[in-house]
Amino acid sequence: MAVRCLVIEDEDDTAAYICGRLNEAGCAAVSCGNGVEGLRLAAGEPWDVIILDRMLPGGTDGLSILNALRDRGIATPVLVLSALASIDERVIGLRNGCDDYLTKPFAFEELQARIEALLRRSAQKQDFAELRIADLRLDLQTRKAERANRPIALQPREFRLLEYLVRRQGQIVTRTMLLEGVWDYRFDPQTGVIDVQISRLRQKIDKDFAPPLIHTIRGAGYMVSVNE
Amino acid sequence: MPRLPGTVAFRLSLGYGVLVVGSMALIASLFYFGTVGVLSKGTDRKISAISGRLTETYRNNGLDALEREIQSLLDDGIDSDTEVYFLAAPDGHKIGGNLAALPQSTPFDQLSDQRVTRAGRASLSRLLSRRLPSGEILVVGRDMEDQRKIRLLVWRSLAIGGAVAFLIAIGGALLFRRQMEGRIAAIRRTAAKIETGDLSWRVPRSASEDEFSRLDRDINHMLDRIQHLMDGVRHVSNTIAHDLRTPLGRLRAQLDSASRPGKTLEQVTLAVRTSVAGIDDLIAIFEKLLQISEAEAGARRQSFSPVALGPILTDIVELYDAMAEDKGIDLRIEIGDEPATLGDKDLLAGAVANLVDNALKYAGVGATVLVKATADGNTVSIVVQDDGPGIPVEERSKVTERFYRSVTSRNQPGSGLGLALVRAVVTLHRGRLHLDDGNPGLIARIVLPRADADPVQLRRVQAGQTASIV
Repeated sequence: MAVRCLVIEDEDDTAAYICGRLNEAGCAAVSCGNGVEGLRLAAGEPWDVIILDRMLPGGTDGLSILNALRDRGIATPVLVLSALASIDERVIGLRNGCDDYLTKPFAFEELQARIEALLRRSAQKQDFAELRIADLRLDLQTRKAERANRPIALQPREFRLLEYLVRRQGQIVTRTMLLEGVWDYRFDPQTGVIDVQISRLRQKIDKDFAPPLIHTIRGAGYMVSVNE
Repeated sequence: MPRLPGTVAFRLSLGYGVLVVGSMALIASLFYFGTVGVLSKGTDRKISAISGRLTETYRNNGLDALEREIQSLLDDGIDSDTEVYFLAAPDGHKIGGNLAALPQSTPFDQLSDQRVTRAGRASLSRLLSRRLPSGEILVVGRDMEDQRKIRLLVWRSLAIGGAVAFLIAIGGALLFRRQMEGRIAAIRRTAAKIETGDLSWRVPRSASEDEFSRLDRDINHMLDRIQHLMDGVRHVSNTIAHDLRTPLGRLRAQLDSASRPGKTLEQVTLAVRTSVAGIDDLIAIFEKLLQISEAEAGARRQSFSPVALGPILTDIVELYDAMAEDKGIDLRIEIGDEPATLGDKDLLAGAVANLVDNALKYAGVGATVLVKATADGNTVSIVVQDDGPGIPVEERSKVTERFYRSVTSRNQPGSGLGLALVRAVVTLHRGRLHLDDGNPGLIARIVLPRADADPVQLRRVQAGQTASIV
């Protein structure tokens, strides 16, 4: 079943763009241009994820919608979109109960990556003993990887990087997400540095095997998947 | 000129004047009762005593003895100017004494002031009359003229003194007000100049070291800071306007030429893709500018906690290891003495990553890049040293400015914001960024306060001692 997205955004162009790209990606996206109607929709129907603009015309802005939803015990993942970019604004958003905060302007791939991360988070967390994609196998206990039954020697950090990507197979992972998830640092990595790490990993995972598993998504980051 | 009662100076001096007059009145009344009061009380006591003694004489020895006693008191030459004695028969006739007649309406057994005629001269006297058991009237008293004069004198001098003190208080208040207004006027003039937009004005320094000069100094410090920030804002807006024009122009040209007739779909798609990438670069630049200004605003200091530098450097070096290897650069690390500072782990890591990135970018093939952290005294240092071409002296102070790209780096990818961000982050951490000559190469050194450093020592570090501060 398609992922149901509610987009509460007053700028028609942006709303149409987000919904268009989401529908292209196989979601069922509905857009709504004002706060009151948005709250009614958000509270009245089941959604998988809500994309909420912070500044909306009329009395009901994004944060009050968010508060109203959380007050009613609705825990649907909410991603707040805003042109207010400072750390403080971000913190205010997160404190009010949003699950992620993305500043405008943004690349759609970034939005998509974050939505996927939210959906995954709200899905049941499973503890795997091993991860698999195509003929690549990661043993999470012994921290060993093999492809086509041939062991691949990986540094501990390389294993973590691969694990992070494979856990999110089929999803876009940005460089910032990688730096945070694998290295545990939150800053803007210079593009080159993550790319070099990925290309190292590619050398070991994809060079002597087919099909290639690690794909570069232009303008966004990387994705591990069987097909392009 | 403000209305007088509305000024603080007036109110202060009024209060001060009231205080002066009040304390003058207190002193005067103490003085008055201490002199005139004591004097008249002594007189009263003396009159009562003499009257009692004379009554005793009468009781023991009779009227004649009393008469003789009075006469001898009048003749003894003591107090003869002021003493008053009078003895009258029950019908009021004079028996003896130095008054012309019995004063009228003298109350008995009670001291009172009476006008009497003594030695042919009218005078004011204090009298005590008594009726003796046989009916005669005994009057004992003192002439009060002298005391009256003394009292007058005291009153007069108190009045004059009070008036003079009052005048001095008013004069002092006026002087005080003028002085205060003078000092405040200097501040107000400066405020007015600032208001018109001339931020370079300062309150003139005064020679004295008082509350006002301290206030002046505080105001001037505040103005320095404001001017610095304003300059920063102006500089940033200028550079943004200037440096974003080029990429915007390029984008516009790309899209414009893509929209000309006769372009194939591939060409248009390519142009759109390049444009989107160009816009992404612009967004990244804005993001970085925002980070810089956020670091400069200093709000994040509230969440600072002790951060060990060793693990950060190890992580960053590990992160960049592969890149260094690809570029044929030897990336080394040295950690000594478990250096730690108060700060934000992510911001510091970002700053170090920036320096390492720069070193790898510019040092060249075969170079060595050394990343080092040390603790020395009250500071900790992070050093990123390479043996590449370095930065010419004249460019060193400019490379930390936003958008500055040195001649050698213009053909390398980059926004020209990296070192500006590093500097902003270091300043946020109350530290300093030094760029020194490595002979050859560049030594980028971040000096930060130690996590447990003594605050007094810290201020000295922040004041800066090295010549190569940028």
